[in-house]
Amino acid sequence: MGFRRWAQAACLLIFLLLLAMAGRLVSADLFLRMDPALIGAAALAARTLLWAFAPALIILVSALLFGRIFCGYICPMGTTIDACDACFAPRGRVQNRHPVSPRLKYGILAFMAGAALTGVTFVFWAAPLSLITRFYGTVIYPVIYLAANKAVAVFYPVASGLDLRFLMFAEIPTPKYAVGFFVLLFFAAVFAAVRFAPRFWCRYLCPTGAFLGLMSKKPIIRRRVGPECNQCGLCAEKCSMAAIDPAYPETTRHTECIACRQCAQLCPQEAIRFSAEPAGSPGPAPVSTHRRQFLLSGIAGAGTAAVSLTGLNVVLRGETEKGQVRPPGLIRPPGALPESDFLAACVRCGQCMSACPTNTLQPIWFEAGVLGIFSPAITPRRKYCDPRCTACGRACPTGAIRLLDAAERVWAKTGTAVIYRQKCLAWEYEKSCMVCDEVCPYDALEFEKRPNLPHPVPHVIEDRCSGCGYCEHACPVYNEAAIVVTPMNALRLKPGESYEYAAKSRGFTLQLEPDKADSADAIDARATTPSPDRNGLPPGFDQGR
Amino acid sequence: MKRIDRRTFLKQLQGMLCVTGASLLFPPGLRAAAKKPDIAVVKGEIESAVQKAVGILGGMGRFVKQGSRVVIKPNMSFASGPERASNTHPLVVRTLAKMCRQSGAGRVLVLDNPLAPAEQCIENSGIGAACRSIDKDMAHTVTDSSRFSEAAIDSGKSLKKTDVMKEVLNADVLIAAPVAKSHSSAGVSLSMKGMMGLISNRRVMHRLDLHESIVDLASLLTPQLTVIDATRVLSTGGPGGPGKVLTPDTIIASTDMVAADAYTVSAFEWYGGRYDPDQIRHIRLAHQRGLGSMDIDRLRIKKASV
Repeated sequence: MGFRRWAQAACLLIFLLLLAMAGRLVSADLFLRMDPALIGAAALAARTLLWAFAPALIILVSALLFGRIFCGYICPMGTTIDACDACFAPRGRVQNRHPVSPRLKYGILAFMAGAALTGVTFVFWAAPLSLITRFYGTVIYPVIYLAANKAVAVFYPVASGLDLRFLMFAEIPTPKYAVGFFVLLFFAAVFAAVRFAPRFWCRYLCPTGAFLGLMSKKPIIRRRVGPECNQCGLCAEKCSMAAIDPAYPETTRHTECIACRQCAQLCPQEAIRFSAEPAGSPGPAPVSTHRRQFLLSGIAGAGTAAVSLTGLNVVLRGETEKGQVRPPGLIRPPGALPESDFLAACVRCGQCMSACPTNTLQPIWFEAGVLGIFSPAITPRRKYCDPRCTACGRACPTGAIRLLDAAERVWAKTGTAVIYRQKCLAWEYEKSCMVCDEVCPYDALEFEKRPNLPHPVPHVIEDRCSGCGYCEHACPVYNEAAIVVTPMNALRLKPGESYEYAAKSRGFTLQLEPDKADSADAIDARATTPSPDRNGLPPGFDQGR
Repeated sequence: MKRIDRRTFLKQLQGMLCVTGASLLFPPGLRAAAKKPDIAVVKGEIESAVQKAVGILGGMGRFVKQGSRVVIKPNMSFASGPERASNTHPLVVRTLAKMCRQSGAGRVLVLDNPLAPAEQCIENSGIGAACRSIDKDMAHTVTDSSRFSEAAIDSGKSLKKTDVMKEVLNADVLIAAPVAKSHSSAGVSLSMKGMMGLISNRRVMHRLDLHESIVDLASLLTPQLTVIDATRVLSTGGPGGPGKVLTPDTIIASTDMVAADAYTVSAFEWYGGRYDPDQIRHIRLAHQRGLGSMDIDRLRIKKASV
């Protein structure tokens, strides 16, 4: 295995480890921030520039110096496609034929850029790091966790027999995601495309490859062919990126070359070097970007974005609430920017969902319109959003979800709970149930004794409710809970604005109850608590025999 | 009805006679030797109190043999420290584990199914750290359903079957080590209620008749030894607290879980008053069903202090 394979394997491994650590490590999103198309489009669409975007700039500069080394050595998507290629490639195929034009990717890049100019992000359809993070995070890791948990369960008798305590008591929680199967199909198509050409994605579709290609028309260290070349054409035949014209193997399309240096190793004449010194080779013949096509693609992107901006659900920047048709049940993560900024900045990588310790953050389909596809939403029925947790903000590569400190986090109201009285055990079925009150960490529920009802009934004190979803998660009414979090009064603030200030100025008093017992035992206990005033006995005691 | 022939009848008769005859060989004195106190109540420093209480009952060797697999069931369902009195005191658990080890126990495990974040329970309760000083890997929480297996409760009136931790079913000796605390729906949470921490789905018991199903479960999971930690008593606000915490510095031990629970109810103040054990329905039912005795006036109680 050559240096390149080692580098690729190491980068993929680091990427996967960082993804597993997402939310716990500040720089776990490093690879996402290295993707220039992803960061470029997000920065343009959201009109923000952050220091956190510096790695993408470094990668762009690296292309000026060394060509598309990001594609050849670092990109986990490229490595995954290479590995797939090694498994599924047809034998003896000619590598240098183009099933489609390599210019297609420039069109995709221009399309994305045009959309980003109008403030809309399409980056999640094509930026490799968004796709591959979503793939590993929401498809591969859940399967691995599930398999590991099953394996541990199968080995339990052996572990118990050998007294291997670590294995005996190992329990691996398995996350679940809403769109996993679609992501799988998408990647099945990407992987199947290696049947047409190796690295099909990287050659024809990848906007990051296109961006880096634009930067590496003539990198300083590049492929150079010496006079020893006898035009045998072996290099052109084997080049996985079709960067060498078979008719003129001494020339290089540097925009396509990922500097894998396979040609240099293969060349029987040892005529190929990757160096800064000229070797007397003729000038490069880059794949032309065809300015007109590029421009038209950009306009098409802007146009498509404009059409999507007129979607009924879409919130334009600075629009007021009145007349807005907003998704009624969509709860954004705490610290999410105002919706229009949020959707512009969010690259749908799913890193926040991988980071979410309660698995409540789920990708959505079309609830927020076409522009909201795959963006994260809190799903309280799955589990609550812990008001002490800031993992999603820490995981977000573009600042679409702000990283809040613990004190601010408590004030980041995500919505308000609403009770459906016609489903509530206490209101409708006249049973004693206080589960919502028992679990609420903000003490936002109040129980009232009504003369016509046998048990106290709940009310939400909306100024105390943070929308965390403990109540909806724990509510014993199925399938839809009788208390549901709605986005009403969610705080969506721009970077730098204070949640505590905003909440207080709107009259909210969001305070965590100290030492709230987070135990189902307590929940169960309270669920059947008899009225305390019965016969003057302590709860659970009776008259005796 | 199946008929039996004469030959079979004679064979069975022969067997029965042998058993009856053999039982006569045992001297009556042996039965008298078992006349140890029913309940040991020891006041004082935790470690010595536990040792003394178990000693009064005949010592740990009476329960734990060479190589016995032991499961100790404390309360560690809450992520709070000993001062809250919602979990068993770590020293009680550690002392019991150490005594099991000294009696030659093979595997000693401290298990609970907390349903609250497991790490927090083990660490905040102090039980994890206390047990590590004996065996680095002793205290565990078990929640994954694959680690439970179904057990039928034939005599069950409300709870007919339940999923029990496999490690508990594998164990030779079960020791209940609950803290003494009030419980908003069960009245008190002592050794019988504590067995709910060894099953997978305790929630269903709240939907069934709670007291009846506590007794059903106790008939399936009957600890050989019960050691109730009344060094602190959560007199109000249980099971989780915060509530009024009494500090009687007492350890109550018995081979009869019903007796231990009954004594604990009668010995301390609950919600500012004194109550009889029969005012807790699951204790009363357990007594009526012959699981143990709540008549503490008729039981031999040995009190001591250290």
